[in-house]
This record gives sequence, structure tokens and C-alpha cells, in this order.
Amino acid sequence: MRHAYAVALACLGLCGCVGTTGSDLVEFKSYAAGPEGAEPNQPLTFTTPRGWTVTLTKATFHIGAMYLDSAVPIAGSQATSCILPGLYVASIPGSVDVDVLDGTPHEFSVKGEGTSTQARAGELWLSGADVNAQDDSTVILATEGTASNTNQTIPFKGSITIGQNRAVPPSDPSMPGANPICKQRIVSPLPVDLTPRAGGALLLRINPAGWFSNVEFSALKPPTEPSGVYVFSDSNADQPSLNVFNGLKQASSETYRFSWLKQSPQ
Amino acid sequence: MAAALCVTAMSWVASAQDHVVTPPLVSRHVDAVYPSAALVAGQHADVVLVVTVDADGHVTEVKVRESGGPLLDEAAIVAIRQWFFQPAKRDGIALSSRILVPFHFAPPAPPPEMLLPPPSSEPVVGGAGVVSGKGNGGLSTAGSSATAHVALPATPNTPKEPEKSTEVTVTGRALTPSRGASDFTFDVGSFEAVPRQNSTQLLTLAPGILLTNEGGDGHAEQVFLRGFDAREGQDIEFSVGGVPINEVGNLHGNGYADTHFIIPELVQTLRVVEGPFDPRQGNFAVAGSANYELGLSRRGLQRGVTAKATVGSFGTERLLLLWAPEGTNEHTFGGVELFKSDGFGQNRDSRRGSAMGQYEGIIGGGGLYRITGTAYANRYHSAGVLRDDDFRAGKIGFYDTYDPAQGGDGTRFTLSGDVEVPRGDTLYRQQFYAIARGMGLRENFTGFLLDPQEPIQSPHAQRGDLIDMDMTESTVGARGSSRTRLKALGRQQEIEVGYSARGDSVQGTQRRIEASTGHPYRVETDLNSRLANVGLYVDGNLSLLKWLSLRGGVRGDLFTFNVQNNCAAQSVAHPSKTNPPGDASCLSQENFGAYRDPTQRAATASTVFLPRGSIILGPFSGVSYNASFGEGTRSIDPGYVAQDAQTPFAKVTAYEAGAAFSGGTEKLSVTARSVFFQTKVDRDLIFSETAGRNILGGGTTRTGWLGTVRLRHRYFDQAANVTLVKSTFDDTHLVVPYVPDLVVRSDTALMDDMPFHIQGAPVKGIAGLGITYVGHRALPYGQRSDVIFTLDASATLRWSMVDIGVAATNLLDRRYRLGEFNYASDFDPSRAPVLSPVRHFSAGAPRALFATLGIAWGAK
Repeated sequence: MRHAYAVALACLGLCGCVGTTGSDLVEFKSYAAGPEGAEPNQPLTFTTPRGWTVTLTKATFHIGAMYLDSAVPIAGSQATSCILPGLYVASIPGSVDVDVLDGTPHEFSVKGEGTSTQARAGELWLSGADVNAQDDSTVILATEGTASNTNQTIPFKGSITIGQNRAVPPSDPSMPGANPICKQRIVSPLPVDLTPRAGGALLLRINPAGWFSNVEFSALKPPTEPSGVYVFSDSNADQPSLNVFNGLKQASSETYRFSWLKQSPQ
Repeated sequence: MAAALCVTAMSWVASAQDHVVTPPLVSRHVDAVYPSAALVAGQHADVVLVVTVDADGHVTEVKVRESGGPLLDEAAIVAIRQWFFQPAKRDGIALSSRILVPFHFAPPAPPPEMLLPPPSSEPVVGGAGVVSGKGNGGLSTAGSSATAHVALPATPNTPKEPEKSTEVTVTGRALTPSRGASDFTFDVGSFEAVPRQNSTQLLTLAPGILLTNEGGDGHAEQVFLRGFDAREGQDIEFSVGGVPINEVGNLHGNGYADTHFIIPELVQTLRVVEGPFDPRQGNFAVAGSANYELGLSRRGLQRGVTAKATVGSFGTERLLLLWAPEGTNEHTFGGVELFKSDGFGQNRDSRRGSAMGQYEGIIGGGGLYRITGTAYANRYHSAGVLRDDDFRAGKIGFYDTYDPAQGGDGTRFTLSGDVEVPRGDTLYRQQFYAIARGMGLRENFTGFLLDPQEPIQSPHAQRGDLIDMDMTESTVGARGSSRTRLKALGRQQEIEVGYSARGDSVQGTQRRIEASTGHPYRVETDLNSRLANVGLYVDGNLSLLKWLSLRGGVRGDLFTFNVQNNCAAQSVAHPSKTNPPGDASCLSQENFGAYRDPTQRAATASTVFLPRGSIILGPFSGVSYNASFGEGTRSIDPGYVAQDAQTPFAKVTAYEAGAAFSGGTEKLSVTARSVFFQTKVDRDLIFSETAGRNILGGGTTRTGWLGTVRLRHRYFDQAANVTLVKSTFDDTHLVVPYVPDLVVRSDTALMDDMPFHIQGAPVKGIAGLGITYVGHRALPYGQRSDVIFTLDASATLRWSMVDIGVAATNLLDRRYRLGEFNYASDFDPSRAPVLSPVRHFSAGAPRALFATLGIAWGAK
């Protein structure tokens, strides 16, 4: 009887101090890079569906933060809320400036934190420090290159910012908050199917071809500079500028692709 | 002359088969002196005194039952007041008692000759006075009257054997029968030496209790018991003198129980029943119940007036005044406490004032009545929680705060009266009470995270998550019972029928406060609730055999809810284009602008029947065994009430098997208990940091074991307990977060006379030590918290009417995390937030030192 009592106590003691609440908190490094195989300091050439052959000589892309979500955001208040509590699996709350002409991973300024929960969607925050700031002069994309077709070759450059120049007035006056500025800065939902683990790393591959897929370069305003370079206007006022911005914001897996590495590339 | 003492055989109010009861025993007695003024009359007379002996063995009240004349009455009273007893005990616990002491006065025979003693300056101590010597050998008593008389010396102290049996009555309230090894009644007694900041901390005398508090000194403690996160009272039924403390409909947590209004020095006993095994336990008795009984027994605090002043670390100041009128028992008292502290670290200052008064009187025929009043007010700030990553990065200090607007205030006023009257074999009880309670609370767990952009609102950034909660509650209630003793199966049996009834009117609002302006920007909740609970129970205490008892019965409760939501419409999918609602929180329109009233009423009712029972075997060589079963319930938060919908009660089913040992030697008392238990909840409440309150979850099961031991000796009192428990969700079998798996607690009190006297009076030394160890607690996302290990100590010297003491809490000055949580927050909106769960914590108090001076005067 005494033996059974002691065994019961020992079992209870062991059982009482083990067990888990499920999942795990993890810390990991995060990277962003251009297309796989892209050589550093080499131009990147691609052809758009509109028939333009684009050669990029410069493409510096700023990411303010990245997040992985447990579910795809659906319509409703989530359509206007930029932060959806309870949704997030992982956070990389720091920035990186990526040379997307280089396939070498660039490390984010901070480590990622999250849980070992399957992520089904991803977000990119294209902003400075505050995604809700009414105006923001952070350059999200600085690009230079040439676009050619059978008729012409257009040298171009552009700096894309997301501030009041991208604000979308509400179409319904009874819903003044329908188009918050933060929504213009968030690329979401990006399809994702991965589970963060301790010791691994998150890699974002960026293919800039998607940014220009719908840009009609011939519609750019004629250059005013002696160099003869066409300049994207950094506003939604003309089709090419609007469409490069839309291409930047489009949550396409062709443009942005997440993957999980079992160990850091560096 | 001799005084004949008859100590009595007894018939006790409680049957001996249920409890081990011993009468008071004389430790020191003084013979009465036949007053010389009565010699002339040569009186023979008996004086019978009704003497009240308190739990420390002192004579506190003397009444003359049979008079022998004023002179003899006075002589008997003077003598009896110098007597000292070993107090009456019930199951090893000292308690006050009332006995009859007859004195027989007979005049002495005249001496054969009057001899004058030789000249001497040595005083001769007589029975009742000091004889001072004079040079001429004359004798006179100190303080003698103008007429010289002889003070006769006392006869030798030779108490006689009892000549006859006399009935002895144990005063005080009849105790409810124990439910087994998890039914604990603590006489605070010597453990007052172990430092405790408030009455809630007395709960740690019971096994398995962990107390945390991230809301500040004026905020109720969060209580963990038997695998339950009882929050601030949702799973434990708290009461004081039978008056409920749990607040139904409190927005911060249904069942919120703030016991800070109870002055700790006025807590005489604390009964903790772990598990829902007593049919008297009502709403919120899911993990168990705790009832404080008030009293001012000696414990070093004499009848009369006692003043205590405490100063200590962090600007702590406390003033306590206690008043215990002479000639009354320990349940008659008055007390006032004033307290202030700047608190440790940032934003933890607090102030409170509490007043408590109670009068207990006797009704003819052995009844008692009691009137109790309390008043309480407090105001405090709190530091809230900190992010671990910010602390490790050096962005914030361990004892700092993110939001200095956090804090709260509270008031509580109660008036209650009860009577207890025996009539024949039935004991009748009836109590009425009224409570007025107000509470305000501001807290911010998440920073700038929970302010969604609704389409109908003006564009805005995150305005801040500070919750501003306000609640006003009025409660009236009553409870009553009749307990009848009868003979059946050749043995004494008891049946009790009782009821409890309570009505609450609650107004509660919860708003969010904008950080930059301090203005409310959103109303989240605005409820007016009328809540009622009527309960009826039947409880039997059946003795089938000398060693076999059945205790239990059934309880039924009716809960009614009538809730008006004053902010029922907070969003609309298609607002009016000509009259848009804008930023209003409580809307008065439906889709396309159709009008609707912002309010919505919902009413419903539910009943529940709860069987409860215990089988008790023994005692066999001092060991009793019990097996218990019980169902409990927790009423629903009014915010979840829907019209005519069955309210989603939480129903609890609990089992336990245990053993209790009581024994020892004449000098050492030993008690020990071992209990295995399991409790199932069909719909549990789990804390949500984002909501700042509990939300409905799924079913859970808790399985565990507790062990306790207590050693009581004249020079020390040692209690220790261990509790192991595993709490899991029924569907996933994952561990329930925040609940401690392992809690260990030790309380030690040492007492003895010091080896020196001051002005001829003894000095008593008392030392206390409290040790707490809590193992790694499960946190969300597979994490475990740090351990908690604290040590509190005190030392006191007691001389005459003066107490001087020092106390230290967290003596080792350990830096520890009282509360730990894993969730998402954003306290710095100037940078990209970490939106996935991270570790947060609330800091435990660093070492604090206190010095106390107490003076008691006015009592003999």
C-alpha cells in the first residue's frame, strides 16, 4: 500500500510538471533578396506582358516590416484595419533595403519573433517607422533602367513613396475611414505555407518583373532633363506611375515568395 | 476558608462523535480571600460565577450567576480574574468557552491566640493584598481603609476533586461539519507573526494557493488554487462572516472579490474548503470557498484600546486603532486602519482607509445576535506589465511602467445582522446584509494595438488601449438555516435546511482612453444589470456507525438575469449617407439609416441542481479517511446573456479522496493531511490579455494531490504544505496556461520568554518566517515561467502593553516575476510593432522592511 502510494505520488509529481500549452516561441533571422541566381552589380533584364524589354540597372527596395499570419484576412472590419489582433504568427519588425538585382540574401535589421504555428499568409509593410503616418517620405523603391520595344527605347528612373500622394479618398462620404493610408502601404495577403522553427530562417525572394508588368512606358511624360531620362512622377496622376505602384502593392507570389530555410544562409 | 472549585463534566453543543472537544483546564488559580468586612456577619455563602475563558486561556468576562452578597461576589471576582487556563479545544484548535465556577465562602475559625510577629520590613504577600511591615510590628494592608484590619493569608492551593457535574457551554457559533481532508479552518493565532500585507494573503495558510497581482495594491489579488486560475474571485466563493464578497456582474471579472477592506488583525479564523463539497457553498465555489470570521481575541491585543503604527520601505505608513470593550467577548470590537505607500518602482502608490465594527450579544435561551458594519475606500496606481524584450534591451527598467495612467479606486460599505437561536434540538440562524460597492479601474495590457479603423470612423491611427472601467453595485441579501439534531439508528444525526438569496443591481461601463488627450474615444460596454440568485439546500450529517459518517445533500440555485445594454449597436454595415454615425460608439441607426434605439435588453433565467456528499471513515488511531463528490457552478457574465437563451453556465464536477491525521503528545500537537483530487469544468473561462477580461473557452480537467502538516508546541508552530496539479483542456489535452503545477508553502512561528525582564515584567519574543516556492508555470505557446521563491520574516518583542517589531518581505531581495504572460502588444507606436506573442511580466516586490510599535491599554 505504501509502495503504491509512493508510486502514485511520484507519477503525479512527474505528470504535474510536464505537458505543454502547445506551439512554441521561436526566434529566427530573416532575409530578402532578388531573384535566385541574379548576380550582384549586374543588370536584370525581363520582358513584360505589354511587350517591353526592361533592363534594370538599379532597383533598391525598402521593406519596413514583415509579418506572417495564421489565416488569410477576410472582408469586414479587417478590410480597413491594418492590425488584426490574434492573427499573427511571426513578426519581423525591422527594415531592410534590398538590392533586388542581387540574388544574395540581405539580412533584416532585427531578428524575427513568432510561434511555431503554421503560417498561411504573409504581409509586407512598405513604410517608414509608422505605418499609420499620414505622410511618409521614405523611398520605397528607387529604380533606374531602360525599357525597349520594337519602336523605341526609353531610359527611365523613379522614386516611389507612399504618403498623401497615394491617399484614396473615400467614395462614400458616410464611410470616411474606408481607405486608411496604412492600407496603401501593406502588401497582403501573400500566399504562404510554412511553419517557423527555432534555428531556421525566413527568406523573401523578390522578382521586380511583377512591378512593371502593367506599365505602359510610352505613356511616361517626355523628359524635361537634359539627360533625356523619363521620370516616374511618384503619384497616381499618370498611368505608368500608378501602375508601378500597383505592381509594387500587388500580393502576387510571382513577385514576392516566402520560403523557410532550415538554417541561415550566412 | 477555602474556595472549592468544581470543574465540570460537560455536555457540549456539538456531539463528541463528530469532534474531539476538551474543556478548559486550570493552569493557575488563586484562592479567594474572605473579606474581613464580612467577618462580622460570619457569612456562609456560595457565589457562582459564569466565566468566559478566551482562546488564550485568559478570563475575559465574569458574571455573577448566584450572588453571595456584594462583598463575597467581589472577592470571588477578584480571585477568578487572576486565574489562567489551558483553553478549551475543538479538534485541537483553541476556542473560547464559558464555565461555571462556584466559590464556597465560610468564615475562618478564630485563631487560638493573636501573636504579634517580630518587627520586620519584609512585605508579606497575602491572598489579596500586600502587607507592609512597620517598625512597631503593626500590620496594615497597603491601601487599607481607615479601620485597621487583618488580611488573612491564603490557604494552600489545593483544588478539590469535582464534587458534581455541571453543564458547560461552549460559546461561539456552532461550526458546520467538516467535509473531509480539504476542509481547513485556520485560527490565525501565532501565525500573525508571519508577515502578510493584507487579509487575502492569509489564504496562503491553505495548501496550493498562489497569489499574484499585476493591478496594484488596491486591486484584488489573482488567486490560483487546485489548478484553477480563479482570477480575482471567479472560482472561489469569498465571504466575511457569511456576507458575500464576490461581485456579480463586475465587468473586470464576474465574481471579482476584493478582500482588502478586511483589517488583518480582526481576522480570527479563516475557513477554506477546497472543492465544492458543502451544500452551503453557492455561486463561484468552483475551486472552493473561503470565509473569514472576525474577532479580536487576545493574541497579544488586550481588551481595551490598541494602537499600532508601522513605518517602512517605500514610504509606507500604517496606523491601526482597535477597540475591544471590557466585559464583551472577542466578537465585539471596533477597528480603523489608515494606510499609505509610495510603492516600489514607478506608479505603485496606494492609499486606503478601512473601518470595521461588530457587536455580539446574547439572546435569552442561549442565542446570539451580531451586528457588523464596515466602511472602506482606496485609491491607487499600478505599473501593469512590461515586455521582456524591452527590458532585456534596456529600454525599460524592471520596476518601471509603460502607462502611468493605470490604477483605480474603490469603496465598500456593508451592514449586516444575524441571529442564532437554539430551540430544543434545532438551531435557527438568520442573516440579512446590504452592500454598496463602487470600483474604478484603468489598465493597459497592450499599448497601441486594439483600436481598429472602422469604415464609418474618421481616419485615425492607434489611439491607445487604456481601459477605463467603472462599476457601481448594490446588493441586498439574506441567508438562513435550521439545523435539527435527532436520534436515528441509535445515534445522533443532524439535518440542516437552508437558503440564500441575493439581489444585485449593477451599472458597469468600459471605455478606451486616448493616450494623447486622456479623453474617452470609444465606449466598449455599458450595461445596467439586475441579477438575482436564490439557493436552497439540504445537508445531512449522518452517523451510521461509530466510524462511518455521511455528510452531504443537494443544493439548487435559480439565477435570473435582466441586462440592459446601453450600447448595443456599435457598427453598421451600410450607414446612412445623409446622417452618417461618424465616430459615435453607441449607434442609433441600422442599415441605410433606419432608426434603432442604442439600447437592447436581454433577460433569461437558469436553474441548476448540485449534489454534494462526503463519506468519512474513522478516526482509526487518529486517522480519518474521506471520499467526496460535488458539483459546483459559476454564474455567467451578464455580457453573455441573450434574450431567453439558456445561459451558458460553467458546471463543475469534483472528486477527492483524502486522509487526515490528528494526534501528538501532551506537549506537541501534530496534524497532517493528504488528498488526491480531480475537477472537471465543462465550459471554462480563460483570461484574454487583449480583452482585459475572461472569455469563454472549452472544457478542462484538473488532477492533483496536496499534502499538509502542522506541528504545534508551546514554543513553536510550524505548518507546511505542497500541492501538485496538472490542468489540461479536454479536447486537445494541452496544459491550461498560467496555472502553477507545484506550490510549496511553509509558515513558522517561534515564541518564548526572553531571558530578561524589564521592570520586573517578562518580555516575550515572537519570530515568524514564511517561505513560498512556486515551480515553473505553463505559459501560452509552450513556454514556462521562472520560479517564484520568496522568504518573509519578522521578530517582535512584547513587554507589558508594548509591542515592538520588525518585519521583512522578500528578505533575500530576489528579483522575481510575479506574473508572466505570452501575448502580443505594442507600447511604442513610433516603430513597427511585434504583433506575434512575446513574453510580458509584472514585477514582484523587492525587499521591504517595516517597523511596528504597538501599545495596548485599558484592559486588566
